[in-house]
Amino acid sequence: MSMGSGSTAVEARSLVKRYGMVLAVEGVSFQVPRGEIFGFLGANGAGKTTTLRMLCGLIKPTSGTALIDGFDVFTQPLEAKARLGYLDEEPFVHPHLTGREFLDFIADLYRMPRGPERQQRMERLLGLFELADRGELIGAYSHGMKQKIGLASLLIREPSVLLLDEPTNGLDPRSARLVKDLLEELAARGTTVLLSTHILEVAQALCRRIAIIDRGRLVATGTVDELRAQTGSAQATLEDLFLRLTAGPESRELIDRLLEPQR
Amino acid sequence: MSRSAVEIILRAELRAWRNRITKGNTVRVVGLALFVFLAAIVFGGSLFGIAFAAGEALPSARDAILAGAFTALSVMMLVVGFPSVIASYFAGRDLMQLILAPVRTSEIFLARSLFAMSANTLVAALFLTFIVGLGAGSGASPLYYLLALVLVVIQVLLISALQVNFMAAVLRWVPARIARDVALAVASATGAGLYLLWNLTIRQSFTAIKRRPDFSNLVSTLQRLDWLPSAWPGHALSGLINGDAGLALGWTALTLVLAAALTISAALLYERTLLAGLGLAGSASPGLAIARKDWIVYRRDIRRLSRFLPALIFLVAYAFVLVRPSNGVDVFWSDVFIVAFVSFFTSMLFATTSIPSERRGFQLLRLAPITSRELIRTKVLFTLAPILVLTLGITLVSSVIGGDGPAKTAQVAVLALWLGLGCVCIGVSAGAIDPRFESPDDRRMVGVLGTLAAMGGELGFGLLSIGAFALLQLAQQLASGTGGFGYLPATPLMAAVVAVVAVLLAAAGAGVVALMLWTANSRLGSFEGSITTA
Repeated sequence: MSMGSGSTAVEARSLVKRYGMVLAVEGVSFQVPRGEIFGFLGANGAGKTTTLRMLCGLIKPTSGTALIDGFDVFTQPLEAKARLGYLDEEPFVHPHLTGREFLDFIADLYRMPRGPERQQRMERLLGLFELADRGELIGAYSHGMKQKIGLASLLIREPSVLLLDEPTNGLDPRSARLVKDLLEELAARGTTVLLSTHILEVAQALCRRIAIIDRGRLVATGTVDELRAQTGSAQATLEDLFLRLTAGPESRELIDRLLEPQR
Repeated sequence: MSRSAVEIILRAELRAWRNRITKGNTVRVVGLALFVFLAAIVFGGSLFGIAFAAGEALPSARDAILAGAFTALSVMMLVVGFPSVIASYFAGRDLMQLILAPVRTSEIFLARSLFAMSANTLVAALFLTFIVGLGAGSGASPLYYLLALVLVVIQVLLISALQVNFMAAVLRWVPARIARDVALAVASATGAGLYLLWNLTIRQSFTAIKRRPDFSNLVSTLQRLDWLPSAWPGHALSGLINGDAGLALGWTALTLVLAAALTISAALLYERTLLAGLGLAGSASPGLAIARKDWIVYRRDIRRLSRFLPALIFLVAYAFVLVRPSNGVDVFWSDVFIVAFVSFFTSMLFATTSIPSERRGFQLLRLAPITSRELIRTKVLFTLAPILVLTLGITLVSSVIGGDGPAKTAQVAVLALWLGLGCVCIGVSAGAIDPRFESPDDRRMVGVLGTLAAMGGELGFGLLSIGAFALLQLAQQLASGTGGFGYLPATPLMAAVVAVVAVLLAAAGAGVVALMLWTANSRLGSFEGSITTA
């Protein structure tokens, strides 16, 4: 078994997830090299979150393998999880802790040595996300603030792989920009980011390569130029490509039909 | 000479203290000052009066009273002053600033000592009126009052140093903020306990014939404690009253040496533990992190507390009703019943919800590099501590009141440990077998399957364990030839056979616990729900 020394940070090998008769994810495979920001796009219910959750070990695949830094998430969970940071669309937080207490808890949970260095890192992150002066419990935070504390809880321990499910969801424009800049900086330093988002301009601006999932199947993977070549539309925007590769034309027809009687 | 760090810190603290008073609500400040003044007059006056009367009327008991008074002062300071010592030396957020500044730890220790000792000093000031009263009642020389003042100051120093030494040991395992909370709880509980103890000690010797309290019981209790170091200053003052300057000097010197040793040790240990106390040093442990988080969440989750506290009151009240043995039931077996009842009740209350109460945060634990076995172990240990304290406390009180004797009390205590550990393991496992992480209601956090598993597991384990315990009692009787059971002959061989059956029953009980833990581990390992609500 590989031991995390290769150039691939995230690898999905024929991931399948079946819930009874429903096939949620059907043989998804892709690789993300170290230090790359990889976009994972798909419509609601396409299987993005299920794939991300299989990659981080929250859901066990029906078949297939998920590797983080070469470690199998299910047969070598401790090694894989120590290298991985996952941010859910609704961040997992403890509502009865303050932001500072929560970061302290996460740092201990991941065995980060205590000391002034850890303390300073924590204060820096709280300052960066404008949470330093928030003495209230996380339960009283807005969605955007929960998103920020969730991100801070990943960044405090510097994982080598970040799996982010809609990280800019609910953030104000300034914080969203901050997150984008942060992700670029982290990738430049060697952190691998797998980003699931609905906001196609975020994906286009940040991601070197993009995978598009539709009804549980990966329909395209590559850079925006490669996707354009694949669909034969040289001038198409990512939105056009996404709609063309998923259910775009049908949606257009639906809208036309819906508006027809009013015309 | 430029101002030292100690002076700068001290000035800042005094200024902050002055600002708190002068910039606060004037009516409140005046009211508080008036209250303190009146309380000092009432309490100080009462203490002075009592001590004056005792010094005059009980010349032979002066030494015991002084020794007892200094011991009482020490206990009061230990209990009441702990939160101040922890807050000033270990837990204050402003300490962080001092650590980052170019200030030596010894300077922080010195500068913070004034406020660290504030509660102890207040208690001691009040107590000084008692010592002065006793001196006045005994017709002591002026030197007595001077020495009394010196010894009280030394005692404040000594106890504060002892508290720092104690904290240096505690902070290896417990963060300062938690220690402060525990100290506050202990302070309030001890206050009530001391009041009760005082009443019990006096009431035992009230008689209708004399129509006045008889302190002989109290005096004899105090005489049994006069070897304690806390009583040494009392012996010194007593020596002075009796005109024995050598004795006074000897006890004073001993007290001084002890205070110096403890202060030096406190200063040295403080350097090592300051960072640990603030959570800035030491190794990070996921188990401790979960336990610490649970502790914080438990206190803040009003919804849980509001359901838990009435149940706890009901438990304690019911247990104490059971303390009185019913007609025909042996006190010992009544205690066994209480142990079983408290263990089952508390584990159903605390342990079953231990894992489901993680709610959505459970996903954080699944994402973290810890195994489900580690999680179960942490939850068991965290839940076990309060349950054991509660079970053992109620059991010991019941045993002592019932007059079980040391041997029987020890046996019941061992049973309490066994049942407590087993029931907690079963309770935590049952919660892990069928958790309802999404339930907003604590009472529904464990599903039907989990509830049945908890009840069935605890019932099976309890019956097997109590059966084993009863058989061991029988084996003991058969071995000593003091009694038989039906057709069983009281022979050593039969005793051995019964003991073996008892061990087998106990092993079967342990098997039930192991099965529950194994099932819980595999259920948690295969959990993959999404937990959509907090």
